[in-house]
Amino acid sequence: MKSKKYLLVILLLADTFTGWSQASQVATTASPVDAAQQLPDIMTMILAIAGASLFVVAMIYIIKVNQFLYKRVVSLEAQKSGVTLQAETAEAASNTFWTKIRKKYWEDAVPIEREGEITLDHGYDGIRELDNRLPPWWVNMFILTIIWAVGYMYYYHWGGDGPSSEEEYKTEVEEAKKEIAAAVSGKAAAIDETNVTALTDATSLGEGELIYKNVCAACHGQQGEGTVGPNFTDEYWIHGGGIKNIFKTIKYGVPEKGMISWQAQLKPADMQKVGSYILTLKGTNPPNPKAPQGTIWKEDAQQDSATPQETEAPGSK
Amino acid sequence: MSNIQQFQYDNKIVRAFGIASFVFGVVGMLVGLIIALQLIYPSLNLGPWMTFGRLRPLHTNAVIFAFVGNGIFMGVYYSLQRLLKARMWSDTLSWIHFWGWQIIIACAAVSLPMGLTTSGEYAELIWPLDILIALIWVIFGVNMFGTIIKRRENHLYVAIWFYIATWVTVAVLHIVRSFELPVTFTQSYPLFSGVQEALVQWWYGHNAVAFFLTTPYLGMMYYFLPKAANRPVYSYKLSIIHFWALIFIYIWAGPHHLLYSSLPDWVQSLGTVFSIMLIAPSWGGMLNGLLTLRGAWDRVRQDPVLKFMVVAVTAYGMATFEGPMLSIKSVNAISHFTDWTIAHVHVGALGWNGFLTFGALYWLWPRMYRTQLYSTNLANIHFWLGTLGIIVYAVPLYWAGWTQALMWKEFTPEGTLAWGNFLDTVTQIMPMYAMRAIGGTMFFTGILLGVYNLVKTAQQGTFLANEDAEAPARERRVAPVAGEYWHRWIEGRPMQMLLWSTILIAIGGIVQIVPMVFIESQVPKISTVQPYTPLELTGRDIYVREGCVGCHSQMIRPFRDETERYGEYSKSGEYIYDRPFLWGSKRTGPDLMREGGKYPDSWHYNHMIDPTSMSPGSIMPAYPHLVEQPLDLSDLPAKITALRKLGTPYPRDFEKYAVSNAEEQARKVAKNLAGQGVKDEGVEKTEMVAIIAYLQRLGTDIKAQPTANQ
Repeated sequence: MKSKKYLLVILLLADTFTGWSQASQVATTASPVDAAQQLPDIMTMILAIAGASLFVVAMIYIIKVNQFLYKRVVSLEAQKSGVTLQAETAEAASNTFWTKIRKKYWEDAVPIEREGEITLDHGYDGIRELDNRLPPWWVNMFILTIIWAVGYMYYYHWGGDGPSSEEEYKTEVEEAKKEIAAAVSGKAAAIDETNVTALTDATSLGEGELIYKNVCAACHGQQGEGTVGPNFTDEYWIHGGGIKNIFKTIKYGVPEKGMISWQAQLKPADMQKVGSYILTLKGTNPPNPKAPQGTIWKEDAQQDSATPQETEAPGSK
Repeated sequence: MSNIQQFQYDNKIVRAFGIASFVFGVVGMLVGLIIALQLIYPSLNLGPWMTFGRLRPLHTNAVIFAFVGNGIFMGVYYSLQRLLKARMWSDTLSWIHFWGWQIIIACAAVSLPMGLTTSGEYAELIWPLDILIALIWVIFGVNMFGTIIKRRENHLYVAIWFYIATWVTVAVLHIVRSFELPVTFTQSYPLFSGVQEALVQWWYGHNAVAFFLTTPYLGMMYYFLPKAANRPVYSYKLSIIHFWALIFIYIWAGPHHLLYSSLPDWVQSLGTVFSIMLIAPSWGGMLNGLLTLRGAWDRVRQDPVLKFMVVAVTAYGMATFEGPMLSIKSVNAISHFTDWTIAHVHVGALGWNGFLTFGALYWLWPRMYRTQLYSTNLANIHFWLGTLGIIVYAVPLYWAGWTQALMWKEFTPEGTLAWGNFLDTVTQIMPMYAMRAIGGTMFFTGILLGVYNLVKTAQQGTFLANEDAEAPARERRVAPVAGEYWHRWIEGRPMQMLLWSTILIAIGGIVQIVPMVFIESQVPKISTVQPYTPLELTGRDIYVREGCVGCHSQMIRPFRDETERYGEYSKSGEYIYDRPFLWGSKRTGPDLMREGGKYPDSWHYNHMIDPTSMSPGSIMPAYPHLVEQPLDLSDLPAKITALRKLGTPYPRDFEKYAVSNAEEQARKVAKNLAGQGVKDEGVEKTEMVAIIAYLQRLGTDIKAQPTANQ
């Protein structure tokens, strides 16, 4: 009976923790489907435990009522036959059912007034020790954690079907794929280097400028004059001008030349905005410009990009 | 009692350790405050000696081994003598112990800022110091057991059980963790590599917390708390059960520092379940402490000593409940690598160790100086500054940890990271860092008041160097008294106690470590993983020297957000040539496991010289000295030879070509840099090329060939 109850508790705990681990993948991957599937199991177990407890309480109540009636009958009989029953001691009187339960499972400290009775006969530098029982709730907690530990090892290693770290990861990625597919479906195709267009509205350019100052200015100068990276204010481009080329360069980077890929850090829309802002820098003539690099890019030559441009910049390699 | 003997307790050694504890407490916490401020004001990183990476181990070592270490010895030397009714066995050994320990601390205070480190957390000190620590620790043990043997009490009190377990376990941990092969006088490579070293490290690191910060302090609690409260210990049986359970279970819990790492799942699970089972044994100590105060709670309101002790024991209870919670994998997935861990350890260190030390000091000082405490008011102010300081320190960091973890894990509906730029998640928690520094300052101010108070107490009293005592000689009693509790048997036999403690603490370590070291399938090999080139190796040693591991992990956990942000999750086979392993335990900066090839060489060049030039707002220290310091390749042949001895498959005679090989690769890096517009003549002769070569190698081996050879 006892061990079955413990088993239920472990199962409940194990289930809670697996549920928890999924919930912990925070906000984005929390899957309502999974929670719904787990719910009946948990509910069944809660109901089972509640039912069992109710049964136990009811049984105890019946026994108590029985005892009470029995005592009552005995004392009535005694009165009739004129026998005086021994008076119950104060301690026995306080020894009610709940006191017993409390002492057995919860707390059983000897009161301070009576601790002389349990003071051990040894002392160390004046320090005495009492012989109080182990706090029962503490012992029970210890036992429960041990049972939980065995249950955990069983579930994940000794026979249960608990997922390995790797399996958890695969599940997480699979679920994310589904969610992304659901989120993206029905929306317009994402912006990429094949369909990107230059924006001209002031709001977008303003946002583009903010991004520029935050992430690009470090290498390309506050005003696009070029420092580590090339100058954006002249007509020369190393990897092609125009919004599509600029977008591509931002997105994938040119690692061998020092330009990193930004696609993990900037959303396509942000790359579009900052690319559009960069286009507006042409001809601004900031102080301390870096020498031109690459080749002259003319917008009208865009269709003809297969033809190499003739004019080599003075500073290009 | 005819056979009364007269003797004297040695108070001088207790005072010496007490002063050392307080002095190093001030120093260690000051360094802590400095590094807390460095996170807010990166310009406080005065390189190369005073950068965060080098000062952080100084802070942890100073607080653990200097402040708490001296606190332990103060408590042990005071209580041991009185509990055994005997003077310390040898005054000479006592003083060798004292000065030896202070010399170690002084060496650490110089060597760590110099960048001389092995990089294992709390085991950073270089091999000559490791040997010195072992020697001094043995001297401490000899002195302690000498005293135990010539004791005048038949039985050992629970405090001494804890001291014995502490002594033997720290000895075992320290020696095994220090298995290393010296290369030069200041450098060594560890015997174990990669995942095995990680396991040994956290078996050590976790149990440094257990057997250096916990068990000796529990022993001290069992002495000073009932003394100060003048109450009997609540339950003798509880002492017995929680002592044996604690030392047996604690040793298994180390792998909870490596959850979701490439350590095999079964070891991780053992770490989790033993951490959970540890709640009750840990709380046994807290209960026995708090319940001992039954009937003395009215005095707790008035007596600062008891106040400190109550908060200490409560902090212990909180930290030992939180620890197991953090060991549950799904909680750890959020808490690990964040400031949550930092908050957690400071509740333990400031609350439990700090406050118990202060309580003991405030109790001891007036007694040894035969006077009253100079000012109870000041002690009360110290108490409140400290308590509020801990709260103001910890709460913002819990908040910071949660916030940052959630930001790391947040995705947009389209499936990209919501906070793709790691730096944004750091900027977000800067206000919490500032609040933490305020909390730390409060705690620090408190300890300064404490110093003043104790100095004043000392001035108004007269020190009693040798305290007279008398006790009957020990009657050797072999047969147990009828009706005596069974445990009394071992309490009269210190050597059996030592033996059983050793056996119990050995089991957990053996079960976890031995299979990991000797069963090859535990670490599946990956065919494309190759040893580091000589230049990369040199760069790696620079990475170790600068303490980069303090802020950058090299362990991508199998979570979608981490593989999205950093790349393929880490496999144990990738680390087999990593000596030392550099997984890290905190991400103040991003993970660097797959840093190789992510950025061009020139990016690293500029970023090292001034991190904000490449990522504006970065709080990373600048490392301009990397282009100022010449590349020193003179130890390379010795390094290659040492690593080959340890099992790295460098070809025969490779050490002869190592230097030229490194120089060739250095020229390549320099050429790359020049090609990318970096104008720096002679850069190939500086340390910069080595660190770039190392960073560019990181995590690239498995990309060479996608098929892993299982």
